[in-house]
Amino acid sequence: MLFVQQLINGIAQGSLFALLAISFAIVYGVMRLVNFATGSLYMIGAFSGFFIVRYVVRDVFVAIFAGAVAGYIVAFVLEKLAFKALRGVARIASLICTIGFSVFLNELAAVLFGSEVKSMPAFYGQTAFRITGVAVSWLQVVMVATAATVLIILQLFIYKTKMGLAIRTVSLDYRTAALMGINVDRTISIAFSIAGAMAGIAGVLAAVYYNAVAFNMGNLPGLKSFSAAVFGGLTSIPGAIVGGYLLGIIENFGVQIISTGYRDIIGFIVLVAFLLFRPRGILGRKTSM
Amino acid sequence: MAKRIVVGLLVLVAAAGGAFAAGQGERAAATDGDIHIALSAPITGDWSEYGIGFDRSARMAIDQINADGGVLGGRKFRLSVGDTEGNPQMGTTLAQRFTADRTIVAQIGPFASSTAMASQPIFDAEGMVQLSPTASHADFAGGSRWSFGIVGTQAGEGPFNARFAYEHLGLRRVAVLHLNNDFGIDSAYYFSKAFEELGGEIVETDFYFDGERDFTAVLTKLSRTNADGLYIVSFYNDGAAINLQRQRLGWDVQVLGTGSLYNEQLIALGGDSVEGVCTATVFYADDPDPRVRRYVEEFRSRYGVTPSFHAAVAYDAMMLLADAIERAGSTDRAAIRDALAETVDFEAVAGNVTFTPEGDAVKSYRRLVIYNGEFRLFDEVGLPRR
Repeated sequence: MLFVQQLINGIAQGSLFALLAISFAIVYGVMRLVNFATGSLYMIGAFSGFFIVRYVVRDVFVAIFAGAVAGYIVAFVLEKLAFKALRGVARIASLICTIGFSVFLNELAAVLFGSEVKSMPAFYGQTAFRITGVAVSWLQVVMVATAATVLIILQLFIYKTKMGLAIRTVSLDYRTAALMGINVDRTISIAFSIAGAMAGIAGVLAAVYYNAVAFNMGNLPGLKSFSAAVFGGLTSIPGAIVGGYLLGIIENFGVQIISTGYRDIIGFIVLVAFLLFRPRGILGRKTSM
Repeated sequence: MAKRIVVGLLVLVAAAGGAFAAGQGERAAATDGDIHIALSAPITGDWSEYGIGFDRSARMAIDQINADGGVLGGRKFRLSVGDTEGNPQMGTTLAQRFTADRTIVAQIGPFASSTAMASQPIFDAEGMVQLSPTASHADFAGGSRWSFGIVGTQAGEGPFNARFAYEHLGLRRVAVLHLNNDFGIDSAYYFSKAFEELGGEIVETDFYFDGERDFTAVLTKLSRTNADGLYIVSFYNDGAAINLQRQRLGWDVQVLGTGSLYNEQLIALGGDSVEGVCTATVFYADDPDPRVRRYVEEFRSRYGVTPSFHAAVAYDAMMLLADAIERAGSTDRAAIRDALAETVDFEAVAGNVTFTPEGDAVKSYRRLVIYNGEFRLFDEVGLPRR
């Protein structure tokens, strides 16, 4: 029973990590860039979901959609403002830029919306079913279902559409892709914005799950899910999902066995140990995607 | 090219905004004879709401003092605010800047025990008062003759809460969950020690790091002990999350926590899950005492919110400092320290202040309980029926 409870806790938390890890994986795939503003896009998604349910309509799915749209738009603007100008220049400049934007967005949210934690209304708190006496709420079902739906749509998009093909090509080699007549700027912009939308969705789910929205809510999940993405292979979307769920589950069992204070230590020990034996991650390819 | 221009313009706008803000901070700097006070607080960063509360309360106190004619025969106060960002290194840098500025006579702040203790050696070497509204670590004030804490230490609050748990709530086996920083470790230690001395048992102690949002794993673990009570050492936001997740896991247990939970937002965030949660505090916003009413009502009319206990002690810190300067009869740093050390029964909104030889204030606490979605005095209403 204890085992099942911690497993459910881990899966719910893992859904959030998985969505964020996808966001990291997409950006890394096309731009070879770790987007440290991912946690801030998650926070922005959470705030837009919060404003929707607070002032417009009390519906969690509309909120998730709003979070995706907000994440998409902000990521689109970020990419246009900073990364496009820095493309082809030193990659470290873009990396520092993502850190700068993260601080900028967090503090902007603190100034605009206030720095106190805000209360997000609860949804679907009722029990959906029980496993060996442990209650699983509809919300937990919604979280896992959302993550699964997003994965399927993304895979279809990447493997069945022309734009998906362009994204795959750019991720192999953007210079050659440009020579082949692919509009590289547009492709990168779209991939980056989709990654923003993933982070936004994760933010809304987290806001509903923890009933709270705050300007600094993305810092820790951002960092952890980056590790989940590395765990999964960094360029692989299914890998990011597996990495996210595994990290969530390992952490929750770590707390059970030792202590909460050690949850991150355990998560990262497993990560480092795994990468020592398999540096490309769970589903990462030897060469790039 | 157009893109470069746009980016350039944005940078210019941002820089101009920053310069404007800085200019605002320095306005009124020119008047001769003003008494210059520094405030060190986390204005940005994770603890910014507390820093902003400090800033609001300190400004309000200064406005009131200045409107009432100032101190030392009409001299007014002015305030310089430094942002620690909740970071001990930043607090140390500010301490160096403030102590080097000879116009500054004393510092109010910082917020956190960790920051206060990190910058303590600088105040000690330079000889300037560091009056922290909220640093409650038992080793803070005793660490330097220039350090004063007015919130009371955990060595006072912990045993008070232990008696609350043991004698008033009848708890015998308590699990402890605390924030893992100087404040949290100290609070958990003094509570646990006193609770065990009373004859109770601490069945399990666990901790979490600042910024954690998911407590389900640790609560699942603690709920499997035979605890009849849960003692939480956290701020209201974590406190609300802990209770919501505790309720979701179906763990029905009496919860008691440190005074840092006392904030209207705990109820707004926690909903029914915080019903029956107990805490002890030095400040109670519904207190009929006229000084408390004056403070709370002016704070509400200025800022539209009820002040938290953290904001209230910052107000007291500024009022106390003004009182000490008046008693010292001068703005000399050492004279202010000596006058401050001699404070006896200073009438404050968050409990009167008398300093021990170490520079700690001994406080009286009140037992609070969340009853029908409001903070009420436990001694008046008792526990809500479940």
